[in-house]
Amino acid sequence: MLEVRSASKIYGEGPSRVVALDNVSLEVENGNFIAVMGPSGSGKSTLLNVIGGLDQLSSGEVILDGKRIDGYDENALVEIRRGKIAYVFQQYHLLPSLTALENVLMPLIFAGDGKNEKEALAILKRVGLEKRAGHKPSQLSGGEQQRVAIARTLVTSPGLILADEPTGNMDQKTGNEILELFKELNEEGRSIVMVTHSPDIARHAKEIIYLQDGQVIKRIKKEDSTHG
Amino acid sequence: MNLYQIVAKDILRRKRRVLYAALGVVIGTMTVVGILTIASAGQAKILKQLEQYGPNLTVIPAINNLDMKLGNLSMGTLTVGENYIPEDQLPVIRQIADSKIREALKITDEGDIATIAPKLFENTKVNGISLVVVGVEPEQERIVKSWWDIGKGNYLDDTDQVIVGAIAADLLKLNVGDTVSLNEITVKVAGILKETGASDDYQIFAPLATVQKAFNKENVISSLDIRALCNACPVEMIADSINKNVPGVRAIAVKQIAKSELGLVEKMNSLMFALAGITLMVGLFGVVNTMMSSVHERTKDIGIMRAVGASRKQIIKIFIFEAVVIGIIGGVAGYVLGTALAYLIGPLVFEGTAVYFVPQYFPLALAVSITVAVAAAVYPAVKAAEIRVADSFRSV
Repeated sequence: MLEVRSASKIYGEGPSRVVALDNVSLEVENGNFIAVMGPSGSGKSTLLNVIGGLDQLSSGEVILDGKRIDGYDENALVEIRRGKIAYVFQQYHLLPSLTALENVLMPLIFAGDGKNEKEALAILKRVGLEKRAGHKPSQLSGGEQQRVAIARTLVTSPGLILADEPTGNMDQKTGNEILELFKELNEEGRSIVMVTHSPDIARHAKEIIYLQDGQVIKRIKKEDSTHG
Repeated sequence: MNLYQIVAKDILRRKRRVLYAALGVVIGTMTVVGILTIASAGQAKILKQLEQYGPNLTVIPAINNLDMKLGNLSMGTLTVGENYIPEDQLPVIRQIADSKIREALKITDEGDIATIAPKLFENTKVNGISLVVVGVEPEQERIVKSWWDIGKGNYLDDTDQVIVGAIAADLLKLNVGDTVSLNEITVKVAGILKETGASDDYQIFAPLATVQKAFNKENVISSLDIRALCNACPVEMIADSINKNVPGVRAIAVKQIAKSELGLVEKMNSLMFALAGITLMVGLFGVVNTMMSSVHERTKDIGIMRAVGASRKQIIKIFIFEAVVIGIIGGVAGYVLGTALAYLIGPLVFEGTAVYFVPQYFPLALAVSITVAVAAAVYPAVKAAEIRVADSFRSV
């Protein structure tokens, strides 16, 4: 379980001072699926970044499984990225020089388990891309690249997946396919926090948080009946 | 798959960038290898020239000239001492020379090291013309006088033969196969030397034993030349030691000219090394520069790697590994190009010198190149490791 308590994030100083997050509190129970919505500049991505330790908080706390991680140094954050929290980005962020399989393998390589190609291949199959394993990102469609990126998060079997507008670059059909994949992962018990600007996507989540000017302005918690 | 394969793949994708980064090291290493190769060719040439100087030491009888005075009136000089060196001093002198060389070269093997060529000079008349006949040990003399060329006939190989200097042969109208008599002994002309430009041209050379017998000078010699094994041999020390330990002789080192010439080469080498060092430094900053821009270019990739679990150490490793690859490229290309450069300009520096590639410089080139590349990569690597994931994506 992940908890955010009174998180604030301020960029710059003086007249260029921007409050990206203003006293935001949030709980991600294990197995939850939260969609974060809001207009551009409302602090959605910043929230995601501070949750995962990609960015430092100005004030507040982030607690993962009972431990404060907001003050973690880089070495400790590396450990969190190697199995507890994984990211999916709007721009997919695959390494262009590596094949799909190698991109999926990458987290294992950094964790010192680069020989486990079987595992990586199995996960590629899981996202429906086993036939594309040897393709470079430039040879894959946007949807396929995002599947590779999702597969890449899965090799370390993280409890929490943070997704920053994962369907933002896709047509509706492809976006829905990716969404289905996230729902499956959620059903397997993984927590998901997904930033999106699409209400169609957001309504599949179990909880929706609306941000504006760095503040939570609305929360909608759905009943389990929304399943499927 | 491992970290290094990721880097290798990335390098293959950015070939041109990496080659550009390698350029700085290539040029630096090329300069070093080129300079070294040319210098070694020059040194080889000078050492060869030094060999042409012949003996490193000459040992002559110690003759003291005493000024004879009566009051303020000079009565001329009196020469005191022997005109010959007893032959039984030879082993003593050899022992001194060999042991000094062994000491200097730190070798322990037995046997003769220095070449010792004894000579006996006698004035005589041949066919009515006065000249000097020199008794020599044919084999040793040939080693000491490496510049000797036999113009006609053969070199000495028997006791009743002589070879004749070019001008002497002319004056005496001697030809190969003719006979001459040295006092009572008749000998055959085995060969005639080509002109040397030295006093050898006016002399006749016969085996030492023959001359000793002909002139009744058994067991003595007039002088001897010593040729040490190497150009680094301590000839002055040998001379000193002979002078101290062997009475009645004077040993003179004849290597001074050679030394000063070698010293010049050494000075030139250090100047060239300084130049090469500067080139390497410039190359180093070139690599730092290209590496820094490569860090900026790959900010996003670095962010991706950090986001999926790369530690700072691993990012540093990635850049250092890339630097090693750049260093290997620089070393190989630098060696090849440097050698080519030496072939090209070496003959211009030392006129007409043949330049040869030096295989030992290859590992040296690799070591220099890799060291420079890795040193250049340290700062960019640390900078790359400091990139924060969130910033890396914002900047793109």
